[in-house]
Amino acid sequence: MFEKFQRAFWKALTPDLVLETPQAVVAPVGETALAPAVLNALGGAENLKSQQRVALTRVRVQLQDAGRLDVQALKAAGVPGVMVLAGGVVHLLTGENTAL
Amino acid sequence: MTTTQSLELLAPLSGVLLALDQVPDPVFSSRLIGDGLCIDPTSQTLCAPLAGVISNIQDSGHAVSVTDDNGVQVLMHIGLDTVNLAGKGFTRLVEEGQRVEAGQPLIEFDADYVALNARSLLTLMLVVSGEPFKLLTPEQGLVDVGQPLLRVTPQAVADEVKDEEGDALFSKPLTLPNANGLHARPAAVLAQAAKGFKASIYLHKQTESANAKSLVRIMALQTAQGDTVQVSAAGEDAEAAIQALVTLLAEGCGEVVTAHQPAASPVAPDSSATLLRGVCASPGSAFGQVVQVKEPALTIVEAGTGEALERAVLTQALSDANLALQALQEKVVGSARSEIFRAHQELLDDPALLEQTRDLLDQGKSAAFAWNRATEATATLFQGLGNALLAERAADLADVGQRVLKLILGVQDSAWDLPEQAILIAEQLTPSQTASLDTRKVLGFVTVGGGATSHVAILARALGLPAICGVPAQVLELVNGKQVLLDADKGELHLNPDLAEIEQLQVTRQQHVLRRQREVEQASLPATTRDGHHVEVTANVASLQEVEQALSLGGEGVGLLRSEFLYLDRNRAPSPEEQAGTYSAIARALGPERNLVVRTLDVGGDKPLAYVPMDSETNPFLGLRGIRLCLERPELLREQFRAILASAGFARLHIMLPMVSLLSELRLARKILEEEALALGLTELPKLGIMIEVPSAALMADLFAPEVDFFSIGTNDLTQYTLAMDRDHPRLASQADSFHPAVLRLIASTVKAAHAHGKWVGVCGALASEALAVPVLIGLGVDELSVSVPLIPTIKATVRELDLADCQSIARQVLGLEEAAQVREALRLYHAATVETSLVVEH
Repeated sequence: MFEKFQRAFWKALTPDLVLETPQAVVAPVGETALAPAVLNALGGAENLKSQQRVALTRVRVQLQDAGRLDVQALKAAGVPGVMVLAGGVVHLLTGENTAL
Repeated sequence: MTTTQSLELLAPLSGVLLALDQVPDPVFSSRLIGDGLCIDPTSQTLCAPLAGVISNIQDSGHAVSVTDDNGVQVLMHIGLDTVNLAGKGFTRLVEEGQRVEAGQPLIEFDADYVALNARSLLTLMLVVSGEPFKLLTPEQGLVDVGQPLLRVTPQAVADEVKDEEGDALFSKPLTLPNANGLHARPAAVLAQAAKGFKASIYLHKQTESANAKSLVRIMALQTAQGDTVQVSAAGEDAEAAIQALVTLLAEGCGEVVTAHQPAASPVAPDSSATLLRGVCASPGSAFGQVVQVKEPALTIVEAGTGEALERAVLTQALSDANLALQALQEKVVGSARSEIFRAHQELLDDPALLEQTRDLLDQGKSAAFAWNRATEATATLFQGLGNALLAERAADLADVGQRVLKLILGVQDSAWDLPEQAILIAEQLTPSQTASLDTRKVLGFVTVGGGATSHVAILARALGLPAICGVPAQVLELVNGKQVLLDADKGELHLNPDLAEIEQLQVTRQQHVLRRQREVEQASLPATTRDGHHVEVTANVASLQEVEQALSLGGEGVGLLRSEFLYLDRNRAPSPEEQAGTYSAIARALGPERNLVVRTLDVGGDKPLAYVPMDSETNPFLGLRGIRLCLERPELLREQFRAILASAGFARLHIMLPMVSLLSELRLARKILEEEALALGLTELPKLGIMIEVPSAALMADLFAPEVDFFSIGTNDLTQYTLAMDRDHPRLASQADSFHPAVLRLIASTVKAAHAHGKWVGVCGALASEALAVPVLIGLGVDELSVSVPLIPTIKATVRELDLADCQSIARQVLGLEEAAQVREALRLYHAATVETSLVVEH
């Protein structure tokens, strides 16, 4: 919220009048290593078409074969929530920045 | 009183529950909008949690609120920052005003699209009407859509507007213990408690008062720790209300507060009939006459005259305001004020602000009313976020708000006719007010609001005029033309100054002026101690303009060029040629005899650069910052090295790597630098050094030293990493003091390690710019002080007053002290002693 405004002010006020202020940054996308039990529940590493961290709390995976997904095993592996979407897309709700 | 049955709210979605405190968005986690809970959804249809009427549904479909027949209003907001999706990914299933059943589908959304395109899918359900509730499920775990989630206890229907008859009772004055005053959370607790009484209840602070049943009104009082407040109540249960609320206030309204601390609170010092106190915003003193600055009251009609017309009026006013701000920027080009007006322009097209305004226009309000309401609400929000910098920006928002409002209403600004020797007094001075000011006639500023980063403080420091902020509101009642004495150093405004006081202050002022004059005159003299030890005093700069200014003030080189500042407001990386041109111009300005230390891009999650997008991090200060980010994106570093190397030969070129914590980082960066130098056919490498700002680098300085050409200590980060205190933390910032012996010991061991290998050490953090710290830094063996440009003459003059042997002994002494305050005290005593001796010598 108000990022551009804050940034513009940050520039107006620094370098010598006030110390720097932390900023919020958007759009996190990145790879996360998945635990072996999670990988197994997703049908093994070879069943993964893609994998990325999205929306702060989720890991989005695309499966080659959605039939090999085992939701119960995912929960047993400690994934708090699972959202199965069309086209082999699955969201693993892992909470903020938790490694799997 | 109508008693109503309790109401169950159903889960609007299936998903994982999350406590509101954990939502990574302060607007929600602070409960500013309301209390409730958060669900990370696993279903894609948002359903009504209760039966009622759709009281609002956003055009963009990401938020909806439902109000039941008893007035309980529940807001659901799908995702964070989803307003930016402008409706894409959302399908509205209901209309505003429509009656819905509990569990009825309201909005469908495409979870995958939202997850890929917005910040988060975290969905909020907030009881915005403020009734208390109980959670019916465990605080964490899975919930299913339609499952009962909260039990809300509706309040009796309160007719808030009607004030109770009868004389009001007043409580005794009491002192607020809350560290940040009554911000959103404690204010909400207080308002909630006040609503439990039938009496009409007000909270008073000085001359202001607020309806204690209104969260927003309480927050608008802008209370601070140590403020004196009173509670008044009228009505049959007035006495009970006062008793309960006074107890609640004394206990901190739900916040943990330390019991008694009468002496500890520096805020709100005593004022008397002849003396008003505030805090110093800009040092100095002045004797002059009162000039009150007031804005005319504007009349705002709530109802609009047709949505299309009001929208057109708003658009026109925004565009006119934008033009006016552009003109103002050009008028004060190159100053901090120019950047401030630029920041104001950013506000004019801020999506969050415009969204709020348009929602009100949709409801048939007038453009003036909608804009005013939106800016006021956002200003309150800024104040409640617990971020001092943003809180002071509320004044800027009000300024922009007023500018646009006047344009909507067609009110002309009349030019000011100031008398000579004016001491301006205002609730708060805005950038727009001061832009048209004839500063030659102004001697000082006194404001009720504001703080060290407020606009008036910045302006006053830039003009070298005294200013105090935080003065009691009674200052606004002084008559124009009254003669007053402003002593900003002590934070005092004398209303009946006697001749002796005036003379005393004029003498002090004269001394300041003379001292500054002498320092500037002698700025070109070397910074050599009385016993002949030379210290290099260089400048911290962020532009070519500052380099030129530094040279004219006696700077012996550039000890820190913050390269990221050269392109801070760019959306795209500057071209290699442009970068090379900038570095070469700076190097040429310095010449082959002076040092130029270029720090490579120092950005990260805490200091984002628009053209270097990166993932958000939970803890950006411990994330990919400085060299870590550059090594992650080596192309960026290579390109910057090439551009810097293009300036080789014009000045004594040094390259400095920020945030180094591992030897491998230094080695990798050196390898890249060597490759680039080779590719450019350079025979001689520039000097390569590192910033010492992470404790690991300071502790391993003996291993780094053989592999660098120099060290430069960044005291700001070194302090926050050593003490594990965020320098922006509202309660810790004052303790995150670079004078702490732990920080000084790290500097001492760094210098020792460097000198053992024949390498030099500079300090480029804020500590080097503090005259008080100069003896200890010199005593510890620091070779170079890189300071903020205006302070170059002062630091050089300070060095010339010192004796190296004395400095070494004071340095040894302070390393053994326990805390920063003791170090400061010891250095103050030392300073007093040296200044006395130096005066004796001069006479």
